[in-house]
Amino acid sequence: MQANSHLYYQPLKEGFLDWLSLDMPTLIYMAKAILAACSALIVSMILTLPDPRTAIFTSFIVMQPQSGLVFSKSYYRVLGTIAGVIVSVLMVGAFAQEPLWFIFFLALWIGITTAAGVKYRNFQSYGFVLAGYTLCIVALPVIEHPMDIFDIATSRFSEVMVGILCATIVSDLVFPRKLSNSLHVSERERFENVVKTLQEFNLNTQMQQNADVTKFSSGVVGVHAVAINSAFESGIDKRSRLSLEQLNIEFMHLSTTYHSLENIMQNSQTQMQAKHKKMLQELYLLMGDALRESANLDKAKHKAIKEAMGLHVKKMDEHFKTDLDLQSYDLLVSACYLIMRLFDEFFIYSTSYFSFLKRKDFKKESHELRPMVRFKTHTDNLLLLLAALRGSGVLLVSMLFWILSGWKYGTITVTMAVVISLLIGTLPRPLDAVMNFLKGAVSAAVVAAVYDFYIVPEFTSDIYTLCLVIVPVLAFVGWMTTKPKWTGFSLGFVFLFMSQSSFDLFYKIDPTTFLETTIASLLGVTLAGVAYLLVNFWSCSLSQKRVAKLLRAEIVYLCNAPLNLHRGSLESMGRDMVQQFSTQGRLNVRSNRLVYEWLLVTLEIGGALMRVRKKMKNSPAQFKDIELLLEAIKEYFQTPSEALKQKMLTLLVDARKSLHVSQEVALMRTILLSKIAIPVMREDMCS
Amino acid sequence: MFLDLNLPLDITFLGVQMPTLLPIFVSLAVFMIWVDTILSELGAYKYVWHAGLFRTALFVCLFSFACLTIYH
Repeated sequence: MQANSHLYYQPLKEGFLDWLSLDMPTLIYMAKAILAACSALIVSMILTLPDPRTAIFTSFIVMQPQSGLVFSKSYYRVLGTIAGVIVSVLMVGAFAQEPLWFIFFLALWIGITTAAGVKYRNFQSYGFVLAGYTLCIVALPVIEHPMDIFDIATSRFSEVMVGILCATIVSDLVFPRKLSNSLHVSERERFENVVKTLQEFNLNTQMQQNADVTKFSSGVVGVHAVAINSAFESGIDKRSRLSLEQLNIEFMHLSTTYHSLENIMQNSQTQMQAKHKKMLQELYLLMGDALRESANLDKAKHKAIKEAMGLHVKKMDEHFKTDLDLQSYDLLVSACYLIMRLFDEFFIYSTSYFSFLKRKDFKKESHELRPMVRFKTHTDNLLLLLAALRGSGVLLVSMLFWILSGWKYGTITVTMAVVISLLIGTLPRPLDAVMNFLKGAVSAAVVAAVYDFYIVPEFTSDIYTLCLVIVPVLAFVGWMTTKPKWTGFSLGFVFLFMSQSSFDLFYKIDPTTFLETTIASLLGVTLAGVAYLLVNFWSCSLSQKRVAKLLRAEIVYLCNAPLNLHRGSLESMGRDMVQQFSTQGRLNVRSNRLVYEWLLVTLEIGGALMRVRKKMKNSPAQFKDIELLLEAIKEYFQTPSEALKQKMLTLLVDARKSLHVSQEVALMRTILLSKIAIPVMREDMCS
Repeated sequence: MFLDLNLPLDITFLGVQMPTLLPIFVSLAVFMIWVDTILSELGAYKYVWHAGLFRTALFVCLFSFACLTIYH
C-alpha cells in the first residue's frame, strides 16, 4: 500500500519541483511587475502628477528579474533623463523662436545620442537612448507655447522618479533575486562544462562544425556584463567582483587556446599521419589526471605533469625531426605548443576558480589578486556613423512631415519615430525587432481602445478599481518581457498601450483624439521601420570586409605595439567586436563561423608576434632575419597581395634556422601555409 | 522636542521653490548609498535576514527623523 502511494506521489512531487524551479520565478516576476506598476500609478495619482502613465511605463521598463539589473538600469535611466531634461530646457530657452536652429540642434543631439547608444554596452547605452528621446518627449509638445517647458520638464522628471523608485523598492523587497547568486551558479556550470569538453576532446576524430561558436564568445561578453551590473548590488563585495572578472578573462584565454587547437587540427586532418596523431593524443591524455582531479591540482602536481609532457614532446621531436617534411613537422610543433599552453591555462583557470569558491565561504581570505586586465570593447566607427545618420535622418524626415502637413498630432509622429529608431538600434537584429514592435503596437491599439471606451468608463470609480482593472494587461506584459523572443513585441505593446490608454487624473479621451493619436504613433513606428530598411546597406559581405580589415589592422598594430600590452585586452576587444558584428552586421551562420576563425587566427599570429618581439628585445643582434620577417608580415597584412605573400612565406621558411623563436615561427608558418582561413578577403560565405 | 533647527517648509534653490523635504531626500539618498557600501564591505548584510528590507527600513528611519526636524 505504501509502495503504491509512493508510486503515485513521486511524479507529482517531481512535477511540483519542476514547476517551482521553472515557472515559479516567472510568476513571482509578474507579481512584482504588477505591484511596482500599480504602486507607481497610485503614488503619482496621489501626488497629482499630470501623466501617471509615464510612471507606470517607467516602472515596467526598468523592471528586471534580478535586483542588480533593476538598480543598474534605473541608475542609467535617471542619468539619461536628467541629461535629456536639462538639454531640452536649454534648447527651448535658446531656440524657441528659431525653428531652423532648433531642428538643427535637435538633429545633432539625436545623432550624438544614437551613436553613443551603439558605442556603449548594456544599460549605459540605454542611458544615452533615454537622453536622446527625453528631449523629444519634453521639448516637442511645448514648442507652440514655450513658457510651459519648465512645468513639463519637472513633471516628466518626477514621474520617471516615481516609477523608478517603485520598481527598485519592489524588486529589492519582494522576493529579491540576487545577481551574485546566479553568478555563482553560472560560474560553476561553466567550469564543469570546460572540464567535460576538455575530457571529451579527441584529436583524432573529425569534429562536427559547431555553429554556436558565437554563443561561446557572447558568453564571455555576457558574463562581463553581469559582473558590471552586480556592482549595483550590495552583498557582493569588490574583491569577489574583481576575481570574477579575472576568472572571465582566464576562461577567455583557455577557450581561445582550445579553439585554436581545434581549428588547426581540423584544417590539417589530411596531412597528418596516423602515428603522429596517436602521439599527439598520448600527449593530450597526459592531462587527463589533472582534469579528473581538478580540485586537488596544486603547483607540485602541475609541475610533475608538465615535466612528463615535456619529456613526451622531446621524444616526439627526436623521433620526427629527420623523417618529416617541414610542413608536417611545423604542425606537430604547433600542436604540441598549443596543448602545453592549454594545460597551463587550465591550471590557472582552475586554481582561480577554486580560490573563488573558497572566498565565497571564507570572506577574509587574503588572496592577492593579480593586476587586473580591463575588459575592452570595440565598436566600428562606420557602424556609429550609420547609426547617427539614421537617427538624425529619421528626425528630419518626420519633422518635415509634421511641418508640411501642419497636423496637430505631428509631434507624436516625430516623438514615436525618434524613440523607436533610438531604442531598436541597441537591440540585436533591429529589423526583426521593428517588425515585432509594429505588431505589438497594433495589438496594443486594439486593447487600449477596449479599455478606453468600455472597461475604464464602465467599471472604474477610483484609483484602486483602476489598478484592479489594468492588472490583466500588466500581467500579460510582464509575462511577455520574460520571453526574449518577444522583446520587440512587448516593447511595442507597452509603448502604445501606455500612450493611448486613458489612465489620467480624470477621464478625458474621445474617439477622434484616440484615433488621430493612434494613427500618428503608428505612422512614427512605420517611419522608423522604413529608416531601418533603407539606411541599412550593411550587408553580410560588407561586414565581413570590415571585420577582415580591422583584424588585419590589429596584426599590423601588433608589429609595433608596446611590449607590455596585455593579451587579455586584445582578446576581449576582438571578441566584443566579432560579437557586435554578428548581431548588428547581418552575418549568416557560415560567415559567422568564418569570422570567428579569423579572430582565432589573428589572436594566434598576434600572440606569436608579441612573443617573438619580446625575445628580440633581450638580444637584438641574433635576430636580423626575424626583423625582416616581421617587416614582411606587416607589409603583407597592410596591403595583401600575392607578391608580398610569397616574400613573407620565403622569409618564414628561412626563419627555421633561428632556434630561439622556432616555436612561434612554426605556429605562424602552420597558420599561414595551410588551408586555415586568414582575414584576407578571398572567400565570401554570404552568397 | 527633537532638533529644533527651525527649517522652513519651502526653500528656494536657484530661483525654484521646492519643499525642504526634497533636498533632504536627495542628500539622504546619497548618504544612504555611502552607508550601504560601508555596510556591505564590512559584511554586515551576512547577519541580516532580508538585506533589502533592512536597507529600506534604515532609510525610512533616517528620512522620518529628518522629517521630524521640520514638522514637529
